[in-house]
Amino acid sequence: MDLVDSIRVSATGLRAQSLRMRIIAENLANADSVSATPGGDPYRRRIASFQVDMDRDSGTTGVGVRSIDGDKAAFQRSYQPGNPAADAKGYVLLPNVNPLVEAADMKAAQRSYEANLNAIEAAKTLTMRTIDLLK
Amino acid sequence: MAIGSIGALDAASAYGKALGVGRTGGVGGSAGAGSVGKSSGSAFGGMVESLVGNAAGSMRAAEAASARQVAGKGDLIDVATAMGAAETALDTVVAVRDRMVNAYTDIMRLQI
Repeated sequence: MDLVDSIRVSATGLRAQSLRMRIIAENLANADSVSATPGGDPYRRRIASFQVDMDRDSGTTGVGVRSIDGDKAAFQRSYQPGNPAADAKGYVLLPNVNPLVEAADMKAAQRSYEANLNAIEAAKTLTMRTIDLLK
Repeated sequence: MAIGSIGALDAASAYGKALGVGRTGGVGGSAGAGSVGKSSGSAFGGMVESLVGNAAGSMRAAEAASARQVAGKGDLIDVATAMGAAETALDTVVAVRDRMVNAYTDIMRLQI
């Protein structure tokens, strides 16, 4: 039934957006994570990207995770000679995480999740109303 | 007819048998209305049987999903969608059954 399929598709959306939320949470949590070794690379911001995920059994087109890549943007450099992660010249590389960007991204993920929830709710209501026709 | 043991499925198969009587011009004498346990021969009873089977299957899937969730290994989204599917299936079966039982009792009330 198409309404059941649409719920399944929305569920893939929920799953994708919740993964995106997880990646954002990881980025925010690691916004200050520096290298464990002096002069090494700090935490690199990660980006989840999605792609079309076709389900051959039901012929529906949901969304799936394509990859979780590192952000190629440059790290911030900060002069902190006392920091254990500082290199020989006293510079520490800081993660390329921008909390403002993450906040905006989180809002987008949240809205998209809500949109999928609403789609599920609508499909469910329609199904129930169709069943009510029998009563 | 065993009035005492009339359940929803008995009603279904009896109704199906009744339909069969009308269509084929008579069910075999030995398999009269008294033995309404088997419903494989009747289209309507068979339909309800498969509906109930589907509903039971989706209920079991929902149960398994929520058991996994309680054990901490599941996915909340899986539970929600499985529960939704089970609810839909059960509601459909109940609605169809109610309609059918109504039709059956209507037939039973016919003045002969």
